[in-house]
Amino acid sequence: MNYLASQGTVSCMAEVAQLSTSLRRGTLEFCVLAMVEREDRYGTEIVRRFGEERNLAASEGTIYPLLSRLRRVGWLDSKWSESPAGPPRRYYALTDSGRSALEHFRGEWVSFRQTVDRLVGTGEAA
Amino acid sequence: MSINKTDDAVGEYLREVEARLGSLPLLQRRELLADLEAHIATERADRNVQSEGEVLEILERLGSPDVVAAAAYQEADAPGPVRSSTVTTFVNRRANPSWVLILVIAAAISAVVLLLGVGLMFFVRSDDSAPVPAQAPAPVSSQSAPSATR
Repeated sequence: MNYLASQGTVSCMAEVAQLSTSLRRGTLEFCVLAMVEREDRYGTEIVRRFGEERNLAASEGTIYPLLSRLRRVGWLDSKWSESPAGPPRRYYALTDSGRSALEHFRGEWVSFRQTVDRLVGTGEAA
Repeated sequence: MSINKTDDAVGEYLREVEARLGSLPLLQRRELLADLEAHIATERADRNVQSEGEVLEILERLGSPDVVAAAAYQEADAPGPVRSSTVTTFVNRRANPSWVLILVIAAAISAVVLLLGVGLMFFVRSDDSAPVPAQAPAPVSSQSAPSATR
């Protein structure tokens, strides 16, 4: 009985972890784009910023492959530059196509969020 | 002494990550390793990190080499060796008994279907043309006849 209960808890925790992974997928990259919308930022800066968000908290090392993909699809530009103190930094900047991708996401996200809120019952009216 | 130790830990971490990126395109592999190296160096400089414990903490926040490599393969849209081997071991360990069962059932079903098909063909033939079944037994009896005489 106890064994079954603990087994259920473990699988439930796995489901929760899976859920946040699923939610992160497809949204995290736009959080990255938004982060460099107004000013260029270097990798460690972006990674630290994510570390402060508990809901988004992933292993910091997983952000770099994401940055790499965003650069490969042309939404981000990057360039290495010397830092006043310490090692060179790789700065990321939003490209024009990155900017329009972010704008498109904003529109999609609002209607998506409203639909989910309505169906799941998490809207303000609920 | 402690500087050497921390450099060892960083070097080992980077080697462990690199060892897991074997089937990633070369440029992506180099890029990720350079990014991780720069991240560690920046964190150490910005936070004035001295002790080995603090360096290990930086590495811990980066995530295990497995986790980082898995993310690299995922973002590369290329099935990595980590993933495929996981799938294989899963199939080997868990699914073997059920695969045997499925194979046995499939074999039984195909045997039944085969028998039914043969039976059906026989019926169809015998309905369509009477001479065929009539001819068929003839060689059998002629074959069995000499053996009987021996």
